[in-house]
Amino acid sequence: MNALALPVVLPLLAAFLVRPASLVSSGLARWLGPLVLLLCGAMLVDIALLADGQPVSANIGGFAPPLGIVFYADSMALLFAIAVPLFALLLWPREGMREGGDRVSALMLLLVGSGTGMALSGDLFNLYVFYELLAVASFGLVAASGTARAWAATVRYLLISGFGSVLALIGVALIYTQTGTLNLAQLSEFAPERLANPLGLAAFACLLIGFGVKAELFPVNAWVPEVYATAPKRVSALLAGVVSKLAILVVLRLILLVFDLPEARQLLLVLGLIGLVSGELAAWRARDLPRMLAFSSIGQLGLLFMAMSIPGELGLIAALAVALHHLLMKPALFLLAERWSGGLENLAGAGRKAPLAAGLFTLFALSLLGVPPLPGFWAKLVLLLGLGQQDAVLAQAAIFGVLLMAVVEAHYLFRLVGLLYAKTAHDATPHHRGDLAVASLLGLVLLASMPLLPTLAEGLGWMAHQASDVAAYRAAILDSTIPGVAP
Amino acid sequence: MTMNPPDLITILIVGGIGLVAIGAVGMAVSRHLLRLVLALALAEAGVNLLLVLAGYRWDAVAPILTGAAVTRPMVDPVPQALVLTAIVIGVGVQALAVALMIRVREAYGTLDIRELKTRVEQDICGAAGIAPPESANAPGGSQPYPVPVTTSRESA
Repeated sequence: MNALALPVVLPLLAAFLVRPASLVSSGLARWLGPLVLLLCGAMLVDIALLADGQPVSANIGGFAPPLGIVFYADSMALLFAIAVPLFALLLWPREGMREGGDRVSALMLLLVGSGTGMALSGDLFNLYVFYELLAVASFGLVAASGTARAWAATVRYLLISGFGSVLALIGVALIYTQTGTLNLAQLSEFAPERLANPLGLAAFACLLIGFGVKAELFPVNAWVPEVYATAPKRVSALLAGVVSKLAILVVLRLILLVFDLPEARQLLLVLGLIGLVSGELAAWRARDLPRMLAFSSIGQLGLLFMAMSIPGELGLIAALAVALHHLLMKPALFLLAERWSGGLENLAGAGRKAPLAAGLFTLFALSLLGVPPLPGFWAKLVLLLGLGQQDAVLAQAAIFGVLLMAVVEAHYLFRLVGLLYAKTAHDATPHHRGDLAVASLLGLVLLASMPLLPTLAEGLGWMAHQASDVAAYRAAILDSTIPGVAP
Repeated sequence: MTMNPPDLITILIVGGIGLVAIGAVGMAVSRHLLRLVLALALAEAGVNLLLVLAGYRWDAVAPILTGAAVTRPMVDPVPQALVLTAIVIGVGVQALAVALMIRVREAYGTLDIRELKTRVEQDICGAAGIAPPESANAPGGSQPYPVPVTTSRESA
């Protein structure tokens, strides 16, 4: 019945079965995780195909919302929900991490279960719980690399994240005192009346900064460089690529359903712009590839927050385009950084030794910059068009900021590409075949999306149209009298 | 002296906000990791108190359904469930933080965040094979590193 709940429940269950399974047979423990992820991915795709673009909702335990817990899946939620097991499968820890291998598997499964739950959840209470689960799983994954620097980075990450959860809880408490509900559908009903005031705005700011910790939002992103430099690169790829997008999805839902206020959008624009400028400038000064990628990730997510500040469906399309582009790009770049983690100057000539890796890096660098035929260009173009529609001085300044930072980005990326192809003898160890295969796959997806752009744009438009239809969201959740109307 | 319930609520709300404020200030000014964790715990306690107050009624009974008819209004159970969850999560996260701190202390011999910051920076730079920022070997000037493309071409 509640087919929608299975992709959340199964990984959570499997996470605690990995350890017992390893006592029975080590092969079973090793394959349990990937198999469960494959099953979850297939189930989500199946739900998406059955739903045929229509939103699906499921009431957990047969209690009807607003009292019961509800899962809601429209195209946007399903897209992100499918990305979680898919990318976890692509970035599954390699055999190299034999020590504590089943512990890492369990944490990965926990991350997938809570991440999928976050994408599908329809009330703030559950979002908070899944968010905390996701946070704890990611602390464990970062610390699992077993180096002292990773532990120190994790403590810092944990403290900032804990501060974020306190803020998020304050936001939840403020909303609850104002409306008496935490169900997003019901909140969307009460919001224009009870949350369109300074108190509601304060609640939004608290929730934004609270959930923004994972999305590398400006004031709470001090953990990013240390964690990405010390964590295993596959974990960094997962955190930067997928986990950040889940936090973004929560903020998107909040701004679409509950806080559709101009002040809230202004806050997003300002914080995004500061994130973009500070991230790109820091990336320009970075002296090793992992931290350069970490800072550039802050910049890219700043761009994403700016896209979310654009009102209407155009803003949503821009946000989805930037988010999907970043989702493809960052994991691949981190995989390439696995063998190139030394200082930048040590990379001179590395591209001649590893032509495929260097070629992929150049491709991703070009798309990240937004060089015309590549998808990155269209993502940035939609963003600039959306910003250009507004008359506010702030939006004009933001356009200037985006263009200026593109120059900075071009400088440090081309400097690195030039360095990779320098005529110097280089004795780096070649990339691991699995890493290269995944990076090539993501590169191929990027290239394949070019001829499909019109279809993709149509799809994104439809998704944005569906996601911004608040009345339909309410109807799908509150009017379903039969418990568990899953396909 | 007896106190009216509304006054008590005001005191409790002020207390909750005060705990959050003490925790936030503690997180901003502390240099020792354990103090930071304790400050976080204080802030969490404050938020939990605020959350309980969000749904509390003085004239109501505990929200437990026993099958017998309920004659009096019940306290809103949602914030209480949320607070229970938050307390459990908070305890788990703090335990994890302390466990990690023991490892950090064993590895670096300090829990002072500024010292740790430089030690970790040195460690990361060392692992990446680049000179730490404040060392004499670091490249000077505003350029992050001089790119020796031309010289390396000559040497190649």
